[in-house]
Amino acid sequence: MKRRTFLMGTGAAVTAAAMGNRVVLAQPMPDELVWADDLPGNLDPYSVSDVPMQGYMINVYDTLYVNKENPPKLVPWLATGHSIGDDGLTVTFKLREGVKFHDGSPLTSEDVVWSFGRLLNVKKGPAAAFLPVLDINGITAPDPTTVVFKLKQPYAPFVAAFPLVAILNRRQIEPNIRDNDWGQAWLASNSAGSGCYIPDISTYQPVQQLDMKRNHDHFMGWSHNNSPIETVRRRTIMETTTRVNALIKGDVDCTDSYLPPDQVDRVLASKTATVTKNQTMRVMVLRMNNKKPPFDNRNFRLAMSHAFNYKGFIDGVLKGYAVRNAGPIPVNLWGAPSNLAPYDFNLDTAKDYLAKAKAEGAPVEREIEIQIQQHLAQTTQAAQILQQSLRKIGVNLKIVANLWPQLVSSTAKADTTPDMWAHWVSAYFIDPENWIGQMYDSQFHGTWKASCWYKNDKVDALLREARHLDDQAKRQPLYEEASRIIVADAADIWIYNAIELRGISNRLHGFEFTPIGSGADYRTMSLTS
Amino acid sequence: MLILRKFLRDVPAVIGFGIIVLLCLIAIFAPLIVSDLNAVYDGDLVSRLQPPSAEFWFGTDSLGRDVFARVIVGSRGALAVALTVVSLAIAIGVPAGLYAGYSDGWGSQLVMRLTDVFLAVPQLILALAVAQLMGRGLGSAMAALALTYWPFFCRTVYGEVRRLRNELFIEAQRCLGASTSRILFVHVLPNVASAVIVRATIGMGFTIMTTAVLGFLGVGATPPNPDWGLAIAEGRDYLPQSWWAVTFPGLGIFITVLGFNLFGDGLRDLVDPRLRRSR
Amino acid sequence: MTRFVLHRLLLTIPALVGLLVLTFIMLRVLPNDPSAALAGENATPEQIAAVRKAYGFDEPLWKQFVIYVEQVGTGDLGNSIISNRPVIRDIAERLPATIELTFVSLLFSACVGIPLGTLAAVWYQSFFDHAMRVVTVAGLAIASFWFAIILQMIFAMELDWLPLRGRFPVGLAPPLHITGLYLVDSLLTLRLDLFGKAFAYILMPAFTLSLAGLASIARFTRAGVLETMQKEFVHYAEAAGYARRRIVWVYVLRNSVVGATTQIGLLFGGLISSAVAVEAIFDWPGVGSYAVNAILTSDYKAVLAVTLAVGLIYSVVNILVDVVHAWLDPRVAEKL
Repeated sequence: MKRRTFLMGTGAAVTAAAMGNRVVLAQPMPDELVWADDLPGNLDPYSVSDVPMQGYMINVYDTLYVNKENPPKLVPWLATGHSIGDDGLTVTFKLREGVKFHDGSPLTSEDVVWSFGRLLNVKKGPAAAFLPVLDINGITAPDPTTVVFKLKQPYAPFVAAFPLVAILNRRQIEPNIRDNDWGQAWLASNSAGSGCYIPDISTYQPVQQLDMKRNHDHFMGWSHNNSPIETVRRRTIMETTTRVNALIKGDVDCTDSYLPPDQVDRVLASKTATVTKNQTMRVMVLRMNNKKPPFDNRNFRLAMSHAFNYKGFIDGVLKGYAVRNAGPIPVNLWGAPSNLAPYDFNLDTAKDYLAKAKAEGAPVEREIEIQIQQHLAQTTQAAQILQQSLRKIGVNLKIVANLWPQLVSSTAKADTTPDMWAHWVSAYFIDPENWIGQMYDSQFHGTWKASCWYKNDKVDALLREARHLDDQAKRQPLYEEASRIIVADAADIWIYNAIELRGISNRLHGFEFTPIGSGADYRTMSLTS
Repeated sequence: MLILRKFLRDVPAVIGFGIIVLLCLIAIFAPLIVSDLNAVYDGDLVSRLQPPSAEFWFGTDSLGRDVFARVIVGSRGALAVALTVVSLAIAIGVPAGLYAGYSDGWGSQLVMRLTDVFLAVPQLILALAVAQLMGRGLGSAMAALALTYWPFFCRTVYGEVRRLRNELFIEAQRCLGASTSRILFVHVLPNVASAVIVRATIGMGFTIMTTAVLGFLGVGATPPNPDWGLAIAEGRDYLPQSWWAVTFPGLGIFITVLGFNLFGDGLRDLVDPRLRRSR
Repeated sequence: MTRFVLHRLLLTIPALVGLLVLTFIMLRVLPNDPSAALAGENATPEQIAAVRKAYGFDEPLWKQFVIYVEQVGTGDLGNSIISNRPVIRDIAERLPATIELTFVSLLFSACVGIPLGTLAAVWYQSFFDHAMRVVTVAGLAIASFWFAIILQMIFAMELDWLPLRGRFPVGLAPPLHITGLYLVDSLLTLRLDLFGKAFAYILMPAFTLSLAGLASIARFTRAGVLETMQKEFVHYAEAAGYARRRIVWVYVLRNSVVGATTQIGLLFGGLISSAVAVEAIFDWPGVGSYAVNAILTSDYKAVLAVTLAVGLIYSVVNILVDVVHAWLDPRVAEKL
């Protein structure tokens, strides 16, 4: 009797305590931004260079150049400018003066040299863009505001790749180096940057949360922003529905940049949030293993190209939030031929090509396989749409589920590479090399980007020449010609260029989108109540 | 027919039995119920995510396919998976539990340690490992689930047998000279059966539920299989506005598990020798 | 009794060794070559091969196992490939959340399930009995994440009574870290306001998880009580004039919960697995979602460590269950 009353009493007290605070539970503070996009796996900007890392890096670190606006421009940041020597192999950067790291120490050319040295030794993440052309001995700092890079061979996208490399504070990292690891173990859960926001490491829980405070002494100043955000609280939300609910409820100020098209109307209808729609540079492609019969037969590949319901997918599944992309280069980037006709969905044409392929001896009866990543719903949907159409023309497509790490390792050899698989190619740096260059030059065979195993000597020659020239006017026709050849060969099935949908709360202003970083640049943002 | 009359008095059990019968009928006669079997795999993208209507009783899913057709045809897969997994798990676990529970010595200990090892491995990880070994797909998912489920039967049977071992009537049989196998199969097993049945019915539910999680990770049913769990996994991004894509497969799971459990309960009440006295 | 406990402890060791072997085999047989993931998205095949060599993935299987056992022995479970921190640290940070969730769920299940099961047995074959059986089984049959989303829609979105996600309000400092369990820590530091907040956040996730266990516990309690009620000592007590309530709740229950306690032990292990969906929906920062993420990213050291941690916990819980079992029914302890 007494025990029961005690328990009931406690229960009542607890409930009262909980209920009384419910108003405080939900509302974020007026000058705090709650950013619910994915955090990178760890905090070392040289460990990986994926979309979450970009979103983190652009705020906590500075780079020599940054990408701004859409269509993106390369804008000097830590550097004031650069010049390329006559041999095309020497690139000289002038640095800004008076830049300080978060710990107050000055940022000079020595830090740039040290950072690149670390990059080339660690050999991960953004290093892939530089390793083929740069040697650690080729980087020198003649004076505190000049850095000189001597390339091993001319490489046109060299400067375009600079937004990938964060400049690190050597003085903070060096005391924490263990076993020659260049401080990787330490930097994974710490920061050593100079950027607009300073992480509060005491709040860091990997992948889940991190708080940041504004850097009042940032070298670019804050005069462009009347009411910059003082505190950013990053919280990762795992489930799509929860994320959208949290945005609508007002618990968070954004979703990730992959808002499902079917949720757009719901967010727009709410009083608390809206949806930003920006065409980015991210191409969805269904790869075909050009070395595995029947995919080695051009007519078969043409049949497949006509068997995908592009319009149905883009208008139906994506509700129009995508742009039909005829070839590998995003339509909004130079190098993509403007009048390139994309393949259309036509089952009769597909049947004709199929018959031709069969006549040429291609094994069209064989069951072919497409590998999808099941938690990326669009890969599943695209595969099923293709399967439906193929069944009507007598081709047997089997859907197999797989995971990204396994898919990547399977592309090391042609016979382990799947018949077909679905993925996107995002913008790592703004240059056609990122798409057509690394996907269709046979020197990249064995990487996931080149997993179509396409080989065409003319295309190789075009791409290699374009890689070495530094004048965009000279490179553009080369890329356009290469695009035409590759599309005519139907090497892969290119579906769309993405329109990025991100839900943001109505109290958030100053959201500026650029394809790299997806607009997660807090510097321009402010909040109204 | 006293047993039958007793069973009929147990209303939930009768309901459960009715559900199971209905389910089996639906699974067998699915082609007759669903007018166009193609609607399971082919959808019209224009009519995606349509709410329930006269034309589409359960609405359409994210690829324009008829949810009603998919739920009906999915019943086959659900039943097949549940029955196969539980049967396999019983076939391994019950004999193991009987042996371990009745005998002493290192053989019994070995079985129980093995049980502990398998029970200690999170289902998900074991299921993924088996899937990798045998290739992804429903077959390997079933094998994996059976491997994670047999310890439950073993342990339950072990506990019951240990308890029964101390009972007077078992000691009496031993004194009378009954052989171990006779004791095990004639006297112990019936007493243990009810616990096994109850465990099995719970197992059905867990199996179907776990298959859904496995489906999400890319193990188990693969698209375009109209597996209920997979349908829920595919439809979860469209909640709450397109609730039908998830609700109806969910209801399918719900009713199936409900039916099996209610029936299992009733069966246990019937079969349990301890409850044979009139009460 | 002490002998029994020690005996059970000793028996756990082979189980854990077996667990080590089993998990290692599984994870090395998985063709999950993490070299590609480690080397980064734009790595060349040469870079990937270099990573493979550096991590020793090209060594024979038995050699890798020996190295692995050595490392486990010294407590070095390696670094997570993703977070690049010791996996022990990652798991230690996330384990309390899962333990707290599992424990509160079990508490809900037991507090509701045992009384329900007992009453259903006492009022055997009545409407209450039938209704309870149907309702508890219904709880089993509902897909947990579907139910979680419903709860979210009703209580967090529509009514705004409870928080939508997470373990604690954003920006508020959690209670002083003593055990890592917010509910316990807030009570220990006498911060009832923090206790209230933590309780509000755990309510929906724990309730969702408790449904499955509820049916199991209620049913086994019901079966146990039904059986005990037929025992002679009960008839004797009734004849002797003891109050019915006392007979049922004090004497009968003690003999009946044996089945239920075994279930609790089994449930604990299963709960950690099924907590995955609940952890994902509510963003509960626990070990379940950590494990799934590790599997998806081929973070094999993390997967191994989680398996071992869960295995260890599970063994400990089972020892406890056996001890309780022996305490409730001393005859079990006799026959080792």
